Amino acid sequence: MLWIISSLVFILLRIAPGDPVDAILGTRANEIARASLRNRLGLDKPLINQYLEYLNQLIHGNLGISLSTEEPVKVIIAKALPASLELAIFSILIASLLGYLIGFLGAVKPEGRIDFWGRIFGIGTYALPPFWAAMLIQIIFAVLLGWLPIGGRLPPGVMPPNPVTGFLLLDSVLNKNIEIIFSSIKHLILPSFTLGILLSGIFSRSLRLNLEEILKKDYIQAAKSRGINDSRILFKHALPNTLLPVLTITGLTVSSLIGGALLIEITYSWPGIALGLQEAINQRDYPVVQGIVVVISSIVVMISIGIDIAIAYIDPRVSY
Amino acid sequence: MLKLNYIKNILKVTSIFFIFLQVSCVQNKKRENIIVASAGKIESLDPAQANTLRSLQILSALGDTLYKINNEGNISPSLAKDLPKVSKNGLQIDIPLKENISFHDGTIFNAEAMAFSLNRFLKIGTLNYLLNEKIKDIEVKDEFLIRIKLKKPSSSLRSLLTSVNLTPVSPYSYSNYKDSFNNKNFIGTGPYFLESFNSSQQILKPFNNYWGRKALNKGVDFINYTNSSTLFGAIKTKEVDVLISNSIDDMQRVSLNNMVNKDQLKSGEGDPIEIGYITFKSNKLPLANKTIREALSYTIDRELISKQVSFGTREPLRSIVPPHLHKEEFSPWPIYNPNIARSLLKKEGYCEKDILSFPLTFRSNIPADKLLALTWRDQIKRDLSDCIQITLNGIESTTVYKQLSEGAFEAVILDWTGAYPDPNAYLTPLLSCNEIKDNTCLKGEAVFSGSFWGNNKVQDILEESEFLEGESRLKSLMKAEQHAAEGRAYLPIWLVKPKAWSLNDISQPEFSKDGLIILKNLKRD
Repeated sequence: MLWIISSLVFILLRIAPGDPVDAILGTRANEIARASLRNRLGLDKPLINQYLEYLNQLIHGNLGISLSTEEPVKVIIAKALPASLELAIFSILIASLLGYLIGFLGAVKPEGRIDFWGRIFGIGTYALPPFWAAMLIQIIFAVLLGWLPIGGRLPPGVMPPNPVTGFLLLDSVLNKNIEIIFSSIKHLILPSFTLGILLSGIFSRSLRLNLEEILKKDYIQAAKSRGINDSRILFKHALPNTLLPVLTITGLTVSSLIGGALLIEITYSWPGIALGLQEAINQRDYPVVQGIVVVISSIVVMISIGIDIAIAYIDPRVSY
Repeated sequence: MLKLNYIKNILKVTSIFFIFLQVSCVQNKKRENIIVASAGKIESLDPAQANTLRSLQILSALGDTLYKINNEGNISPSLAKDLPKVSKNGLQIDIPLKENISFHDGTIFNAEAMAFSLNRFLKIGTLNYLLNEKIKDIEVKDEFLIRIKLKKPSSSLRSLLTSVNLTPVSPYSYSNYKDSFNNKNFIGTGPYFLESFNSSQQILKPFNNYWGRKALNKGVDFINYTNSSTLFGAIKTKEVDVLISNSIDDMQRVSLNNMVNKDQLKSGEGDPIEIGYITFKSNKLPLANKTIREALSYTIDRELISKQVSFGTREPLRSIVPPHLHKEEFSPWPIYNPNIARSLLKKEGYCEKDILSFPLTFRSNIPADKLLALTWRDQIKRDLSDCIQITLNGIESTTVYKQLSEGAFEAVILDWTGAYPDPNAYLTPLLSCNEIKDNTCLKGEAVFSGSFWGNNKVQDILEESEFLEGESRLKSLMKAEQHAAEGRAYLPIWLVKPKAWSLNDISQPEFSKDGLIILKNLKRD
């Protein structure tokens, strides 16, 4: 799978119009300068040689060097990925708490007031364009109310703590820097809440639908007729059986979040991997694009495998 | 009742959390450094590679140029001791250098260092095409005297020596970067040194051994945000002290200007250096027909476009050189007149049964371009729907630049900022051509600009102007522009002034003649 993806990215980038040499030197550079740079970057070699070299390097864990900044791609990813993961983790936490709570309450009392508003909320967040929602939230909470910072990971002029893990919040805790701990939390609130709220709709709807369906099953009716109280039926018999589809959806959402939070990262100037990917595409920085796509694909594959293992563990009917 | 208590408790906890966060603010501290924000990431701080406004802005604070353009529009010495002395045949330029100037690494700035920097730029510089055709050799004549030998006389070279890209770098610190870029560091002679660099934040501190007038502030933090709304919000919420206008949407520019009018902000603006224009591909029908291009030049209502697209913040422009560089009013392109356009098109057989149809390409990632394209199309629908039909085609800018010289676009909206404030920095990149056949440029800058328009007269004038000085040179360049206007391969639209807004406790931003903020003049009241 990874080989197919990395090969596809390699080919598509070379087919796409635009040239890294133009991006670095500009279109007006003379032929000597262009040829010299092309040679230095290895772009003058036949495509098949470039491809084989790329695969060889990839197998050895070498993602190459950025064409525009001449920085190792590994370093670029190591700087951007923790920012995206930090955002993804907090967003998923918020989305899970909010979404599953709303979905649960809705399923417990179907057609009630909470269920009605919960469904409206679910559809609303699902339908909201992320960039619009992000800008609206930014304008209200950062510009008009001034409660939270407008963007970035830290206030302007504040230097990040010494990197240990790359996760700003964790690093500031490890460096025992209280000021930066609070600053980084403040900067994390708006983007993670925006993303969390937008995702919570999917979570609430998936839990509500699955739970509602399960609550109609014969074994639940049988449990009720045996006089088992409602909360025991709900938590002991119904909820565990809704876990499988919900877990799958959560896993897929986490995967898509790592590479897919581009609009949120742009709106909040969050220096994550999606923003890095967009910039690299604009620059036609082949190694960076290839590196980021390979890393994101690997994470998606790992999460999918993790979910499959978890499902097999939870559900005895599933075996591999 | 129980539920209500729960809600109250949740609200209490949330409020305490928010209050705690607010109290813990780093921002409440009095800032020492001035925080300057703009859009765009800095990929390189190497003057040989830097080509974005943001990187040039930082380089202008970290380094010095040999000359600067003064308020009268003439060059005045900066690192040079005196004006350049040109030999009688115009093929040698001697530049005496100031003494007792040191680089940020403590080494001495001298003729060797200047020669090293110029040679390095000639070898690897992104804009080296500007110099390669002019410079034959660079000689160190004395410890503080440099001689530039030219291939042919070039009066434009002196203006070129004001370009930030030719900022000298320390040969000692760049010994490993003679033929490669040093993207993350910069060692120059400027009023600031680079304390720290990453692509989203650069910290500049005053250089204590600076030879000239020292910075009025304790340092500058340069930060970047990815979009216009965030930049706008950042100055509104006082998260940043100064905001630079590049990439600020026109609507937000208007809001910022309104805040200035209400004394909520200060603002400063420089001479306009960016032009917006449309290039017509002149080597393929229908736009190869000069009369049709001429007709099109009458169809654009610049006043309306300026109002609709930019709320009047972009000035209508009828020349391809910013008018102030000619030092007199000069607008050779015609004003809007749909009646003349119609009669010209009728002459070519359009309007009665045929409709002139052509695609107009705009850079989809630049909002002003899209609005310009939409407005022009609608304006033509209103005035000349029986004669012209425009189809719009949005393409991402990297692809546009790549395909421009391949002749992919019949008409395309572009912009241009001269590398130095001189008419030549606009005329040469758009008009110069090395090989012309039947009014088509086969090789040269006109190919890269996408017009393919070649004119021997223009080439002759451009070459002659290199032998001229002062007013006669400007007159000659105006003649070249007049010919370009008659050729109608370009259609100038608007002029963009560089602008910056600052908080009230910061001094009003001042601009140099090359459109960059003078950072050392910013001070906190």
